[in-house]
Amino acid sequence: MLFDSSKVLLFRYFVLCIGIAPGIIFAWLWVNGGLGANPAEAAVHFTGKTGLVLLLITIAFSPAFRLTGWRGVMAARRQIGLWAFFWLVVHMLTWFGWDQYWDWQWIWHDIWALHYVRYGVLALLLLVPLAVTSFQWFPQHMGWKAWHWLHRFIYLSAGLGIYHFWELTRADYLVPFVFGSVLAFLVVFRLIDALIHRQ
Amino acid sequence: MKGYRYPKIAESEVTPKHVFENRRRFLQHSAAFGAVMSFAPGMLMPNTASAWQRTLADKIQQGVSNQDFAEGESLTSVNDATTYNNFYEFGVRKSDPEVYGHKLQTDPWRVSIEGEFENTASVYLEDILRRYMLEERIYRLRCVETWSMVIPWLGFPLANLLTHYGLTSRANYIEFESIFDPDNLRGQRRSMIDWPYREALRIDEAMHPLTMIAVGMYGEKMPNQNGAPMRLVVPWKYGFKSIKSVVAIRALEEKPTPSWVAKNPEEYGFYANVNPEVDHPRWSQARERRIGEGGRRETLMFNGYADEVAQLYTGIDLQKHY
Repeated sequence: MLFDSSKVLLFRYFVLCIGIAPGIIFAWLWVNGGLGANPAEAAVHFTGKTGLVLLLITIAFSPAFRLTGWRGVMAARRQIGLWAFFWLVVHMLTWFGWDQYWDWQWIWHDIWALHYVRYGVLALLLLVPLAVTSFQWFPQHMGWKAWHWLHRFIYLSAGLGIYHFWELTRADYLVPFVFGSVLAFLVVFRLIDALIHRQ
Repeated sequence: MKGYRYPKIAESEVTPKHVFENRRRFLQHSAAFGAVMSFAPGMLMPNTASAWQRTLADKIQQGVSNQDFAEGESLTSVNDATTYNNFYEFGVRKSDPEVYGHKLQTDPWRVSIEGEFENTASVYLEDILRRYMLEERIYRLRCVETWSMVIPWLGFPLANLLTHYGLTSRANYIEFESIFDPDNLRGQRRSMIDWPYREALRIDEAMHPLTMIAVGMYGEKMPNQNGAPMRLVVPWKYGFKSIKSVVAIRALEEKPTPSWVAKNPEEYGFYANVNPEVDHPRWSQARERRIGEGGRRETLMFNGYADEVAQLYTGIDLQKHY
């Protein structure tokens, strides 16, 4: 029987594995030619989906805590959130570098010309203050209330990110629909939870 | 070859009903013995079943005249051209057509020639193939998703097929329809597009010598994932105009609505000419990625075929009619 603190540690290592796993999968695909004829496109799609999934998992941590009451969930929340941010930054850099070849003129053109690019950039920018303030120092100095308020932007960012995904989809909306449904479910859970606790 | 006219008789008269039904029964029985079916079709089926494959093999053997329409371009590797495809009938992932392509039933293949033709017909592919010399043409292929390839197609000008059946004076447009077979084509079980897939050309575009019906590529018969057994190739338009696995060719008086236009009229125009100056709301079209090549290259007006086709669009505002 493990002590609770070692279980927490174990869980944090598990979350570490979740954060690293996409990198290993991607490297494996790359080495084995699994990226196909258009590796730049494959890389952008892979990192984007990874980032969105991790973002949804991050959001799911708070209902998971409500349901289990286990402090290990909260102990790993910042980590999973930072992994989501990390993969979304990689997603953007992959697009900048691999897809657009660091051609800033065209990157700038696409950000302004194409709806979905704009929403994607906006979604990521919204996450920057969240990632920055995720260190212990911030909630203690800015106050937990303000910190919590700020970190609710993760819902908006996820919403914009899924909209970004929806907009770039050509015909088959199943996957972005599933992403959107998961987010909607999590938001509804959060709202109901907030209502119950207010009473 | 020139003097031959396809007899103007109904399909039901060409194949007597009892023969046709016999064949159906035969197929149903065979299906019950999966193990037998896995190798039997080529051995047991009536001659007509794989007739087009034999005719095509002969035609490919008879030597193809190599004409280079894409000077100085290096060919896209066969592997890339057959593993990275948009063929939503099999699913939306680029790898789906190769993975599920074997499900496409191409034996026998009939094409329905309908509408404003002097002679309408339902014709077996082998009968079409018998009429023409196959020609190899290397064309650039530019997808609306901003990737491009260079592919050696095997085929014949569409104009030859259209004139064979005689267009009437009311034929202003040619509409094409792809196979509809949701039992075998998993993508068609989802209503992402109003199946079957339809595309269309203005009559002068359809009659243009660059427009071809392809029945093969890279010196072989057309792979299923690339639109077997016969597809359209219109090199100066975005790839989605080059409809795959064609089962119907319809001459029409009124302008038809292609599938993508029906799906999203604000994004897709009837013409869909490759045009670096008109951005698609989803993609900037000024540049493209040549598959197998790093970086981006500039997209050429009409995909580099402006000298041949620009005169088709004089007086048309291509910003408006994209």
